[in-house]
Amino acid sequence: MSVPLTDVLVVSVALFSLGLCGALLRRNAITIFLSIELMLNAANLAIVGFGERVGGYAGQTVVFFAIVVAAAEAAVGLAIFVAVFRHHETIDVNKTNLLKW
Amino acid sequence: MNAARLIFDLAGAIAVVFAGVMVVHRNPIKSLLAIVVTFFALAVGFVLLSAPFLAAIQVIVYAGAILVLFLFVTMLLNLQTEEETADRRPFQRFFALVGIVAFAGMLLAAVRRSGEAAGSSGLPPATGAIEPLAQALFSRAALPFEAVSVLLLASLTGAYILMRRERSGSAAP
Repeated sequence: MSVPLTDVLVVSVALFSLGLCGALLRRNAITIFLSIELMLNAANLAIVGFGERVGGYAGQTVVFFAIVVAAAEAAVGLAIFVAVFRHHETIDVNKTNLLKW
Repeated sequence: MNAARLIFDLAGAIAVVFAGVMVVHRNPIKSLLAIVVTFFALAVGFVLLSAPFLAAIQVIVYAGAILVLFLFVTMLLNLQTEEETADRRPFQRFFALVGIVAFAGMLLAAVRRSGEAAGSSGLPPATGAIEPLAQALFSRAALPFEAVSVLLLASLTGAYILMRRERSGSAAP
């Protein structure tokens, strides 16, 4: 009564690829950020799957820290979006090239 | 085919479908609502992989706190549906797509070959209990645990400084 590791990894690969698609092809900063969160979650799923196979709690510990770091990242990232929006009135990444010259 | 596998595959399919909806939808609010469904489906997957604590964290912290923060900011910025802007480099998207397909194919090939090859470490398999996880967090992982609290404080301060309206005369951003 357990889930085969291959199924876990296939779902993880599919989610990661979709997240990569969103991060590279979309132009809205919020959607890009959501895609990055999706990729983080795909990696978390793979880690939990491997952790269950290997035994012990190392995998779950790693994923716990990954979730905390993702929360911190979301807070700072969204604050940056609000700051950029105040200056540019848009967060379309085609129109904001603050770091490019 | 056992029941756990059936439920996991179902949850995985739901997660992938709604992730696809998230990626293609032009309205950021609807993208957000789609990814909430994906995160709930992933929580189901965590339960089946004997990590119920992570499933709870996934629902409470991810779907609850982080995505509500996203929703709050999206509505605060009053983003309209993404308009089609003329791409200055249209070939970029094509190459990105080719790269992603190649990447996914490569990973899938690797998974098919080595998916069942991971061996056990001899440690007892994780049960659903929270207590051993807490033991691991507060003994072996005690230093990262404390470091993460500093990280949270730093990101809180950083977010406050970024969101603060600068007074007239003070330095810009």
